[in-house]
Amino acid sequence: MLTRVSRFGSALPRLLSSQPARFVSQSKPTSSTGSTAVTELHPAAEQSGHGEVSPYVKNPDYHGFSSDPVEDEWNMRVGFFFGISVALVIGGTFLHYLPDHGMRQWARREAERLVVQREKEGLPLIEENYYDVNKIVLPAAEKE
Amino acid sequence: MLKIIIPTIMLIPLTWLSKNSMIWINTTTHSLVITLISLPLLNQFNDNSLNLSTMYFSDSLSTPLLMLTMWLLPLMIIASQFHLIKESPTRKKLYITMLISLQIFLVMTFTATELIMFYILFEATLVPTLIIITRWGGQTERLNAGLYFLFYTLVGSLPLLIALIHLQNSTGSLNMLLAQYWSEPLKTSWSDTILWLACMMAFMVKMPLYGLHLWLPKAHVEAPIAGSMVLAAILLKLGGYGMLRITTMLTPITSFMAYPFLMLSLWGMIMTSSICLRQTDLKSLIAYSSVSHMALVIVAVLIQTPWSFMGATALMIAHGLTSSMLFCLANSNYERTHSRTMILARGLQTMLPLMAAWWLLASLTNLALPPSINLIGELFVVMSTFSWSSISIILMGINIVITALYSLYMLIMTQRGKQTHHINNLPPSYTRENTLMTMHLLPLLLLSINPKIILGTLY
Repeated sequence: MLTRVSRFGSALPRLLSSQPARFVSQSKPTSSTGSTAVTELHPAAEQSGHGEVSPYVKNPDYHGFSSDPVEDEWNMRVGFFFGISVALVIGGTFLHYLPDHGMRQWARREAERLVVQREKEGLPLIEENYYDVNKIVLPAAEKE
Repeated sequence: MLKIIIPTIMLIPLTWLSKNSMIWINTTTHSLVITLISLPLLNQFNDNSLNLSTMYFSDSLSTPLLMLTMWLLPLMIIASQFHLIKESPTRKKLYITMLISLQIFLVMTFTATELIMFYILFEATLVPTLIIITRWGGQTERLNAGLYFLFYTLVGSLPLLIALIHLQNSTGSLNMLLAQYWSEPLKTSWSDTILWLACMMAFMVKMPLYGLHLWLPKAHVEAPIAGSMVLAAILLKLGGYGMLRITTMLTPITSFMAYPFLMLSLWGMIMTSSICLRQTDLKSLIAYSSVSHMALVIVAVLIQTPWSFMGATALMIAHGLTSSMLFCLANSNYERTHSRTMILARGLQTMLPLMAAWWLLASLTNLALPPSINLIGELFVVMSTFSWSSISIILMGINIVITALYSLYMLIMTQRGKQTHHINNLPPSYTRENTLMTMHLLPLLLLSINPKIILGTLY
């Protein structure tokens, strides 16, 4: 990591340094480009001159979406309305009132009804054989 | 399904034809509306599937994953707005188009009836993800990451193509719904065991299984925030979903073929959890924690009991939301300090208290605190694994402890303690970031109240 510092040339001030050799693209690096190296805490945005100015200076109601205040405000409203009010609240209410998921409650009611009916008729609650015994065709016993 | 797919496709003209000031607003709005119209799919009123057409169906397994996919697109769009600020409008629109095309492929993958269509879309999801990682990633390592990501997945999935074509020839149809009833039991011959391996390896690489997980830390770390979110939340679950679907056709040799992968996963989840304790890079920690959680899902899918399937499905959804939220939190740190080193920005709780609340909740859900759905998933998996083999409880118990350790380690390292002196001028949390965290957390908490929709087909 430390060898990379020498690549930028210690004689040149950082603001005037040329393109760092390790970037692949030839275009200007974006402001969010960085690395895990501790030495590169100051992003390339400083080169454009307004790296450390807080966005709240120009727009005290900055919401984080855009530097244009109108667009920022609308983006915030749209996000909250459609995201929370519509999708989560209306969607959540819809999900809460969905009918019997996977027929579990029906299965419980049906089971209780069948148990009552079978106990009344005196039949066993469930038959021992899963398949109808008469329908199983076994191969004839072979002589060894 | 067309009522979901066609609007998602139409998001692309929406992006390109929007005014430059309205790109983000339009895409956010419309992707959220599309999420809303896909909610009726959760109305699984019988124990079978909703057969919407000959090409698409949705059942209790694919629907929660589909919901997660649809919910994640607006979140990805909101999360990407900061790091794309300096890009030209065309580049922004291209980025959003990549996200939308990924969404289209994922929606179709999760609802595909035919396995070849599932396979084609499974591979197709690689392309936009690769473009996002290699073009918009932050460091030079992104090229290597893209290479690992692409080739690990491709090498794993080419045998799957051959296996699917063979199954089509022998069974006559690869319709997932029919294959459950038509498939013949596999014998213990070499050809059938190789068929089993060919079918499963693609999904093992995607999950990822512990020995084949090298692509994941690279890809997750080098991807931009939307790439990390979609990778952690959805693309890993493609592997789990594929495994859950294809194991119905691979009985009964799964009972012994699964042993090597079970051992790798049981050991791997402890290994990757332990590696998390030694990570300096925050995103790398979250990436390894994803491997650990997915190893639990692999164990659950391979032991094939009803409870383990329920646990696997719940864990996939829970982990999707939690992991995506953790990546968003790590990104909020990265956007301020431009570094992923965890110890660089400490004591953030005093500076950004609301963000600290989100960090706390995300860490708590990551360590599977009751009553979150993370706990439901993990608990079901641990219980079913214990009934499969009593000694696995030791490994599972160690994993749960180490998961708690690294989650709290990550929380304490970033939030508590004395602040580092150079972060005094960090900007406060933006509404955008808080919205993002809320939209991750609220579904997670609401699902804790009503988990039956995410418990899968065997609920």
